[in-house]
Amino acid sequence: MAHSRGNNILFLAVVGLSAWLIPGAGHLILKEKKRAVVIFVAILLTFGIGIYIGSIGVVNPATSMLSFVGQVGFSPAVIFIGSYNAALLENAMQESEKQHFAVYGIPNEIGQIYTSTAGLLNLLCVVNAVYVARMRWLQEGGEGGS
Amino acid sequence: MVAETFFLLASFTVPERLGLNPLTLLLLLPLIASISIVYKTLKVPRMQTGVFIKETVTLFFSIAVFIVITALVLFLLAWWATG
Repeated sequence: MAHSRGNNILFLAVVGLSAWLIPGAGHLILKEKKRAVVIFVAILLTFGIGIYIGSIGVVNPATSMLSFVGQVGFSPAVIFIGSYNAALLENAMQESEKQHFAVYGIPNEIGQIYTSTAGLLNLLCVVNAVYVARMRWLQEGGEGGS
Repeated sequence: MVAETFFLLASFTVPERLGLNPLTLLLLLPLIASISIVYKTLKVPRMQTGVFIKETVTLFFSIAVFIVITALVLFLLAWWATG
């Protein structure tokens, strides 16, 4: 029962979603505490530097969809921040008195590069966590030890 | 803690003032460090401090040197094309 295919798929989904939700959480579930801490700190700092330099305005699908696709890898929270920023920008364009988080030029570019890289690095960690979980399951005799 | 972290990130609402000067290129270094650390975290078989730091520093300098060489080649190309 412990090695059933259904349980394994559920476990892989939990590992993958946790790793996406919080950087490093996937490895923490796999009892890789050191890796989890390093991943959490490194990715959070990278994303934090990007947001610090470019402000929260760099997370906006309306101004740069390509960057946003990368940023989404950091956490599902980015989707909400991006939607909020895009809605603010749309309102600001319709009614000039409304404000939005404007960011242009070098800070925008640097911020987008940092936040997108953080997202892509976390995506790499998600894939790695799921891969490690799958390989462990196979080594423990899942699918008849194949 | 996670909630506090996201609130902290969301409080950055004004961008920094950054000019375009040679020092701006130094912003590349933290990014390379981050990429090296995360990549080597996933790559090393066992997380031993000495081995991990050595591998990370090697990758960091490999990427940095490769970028410098690429920049030099592009600079020479631009110099040749315009000069």
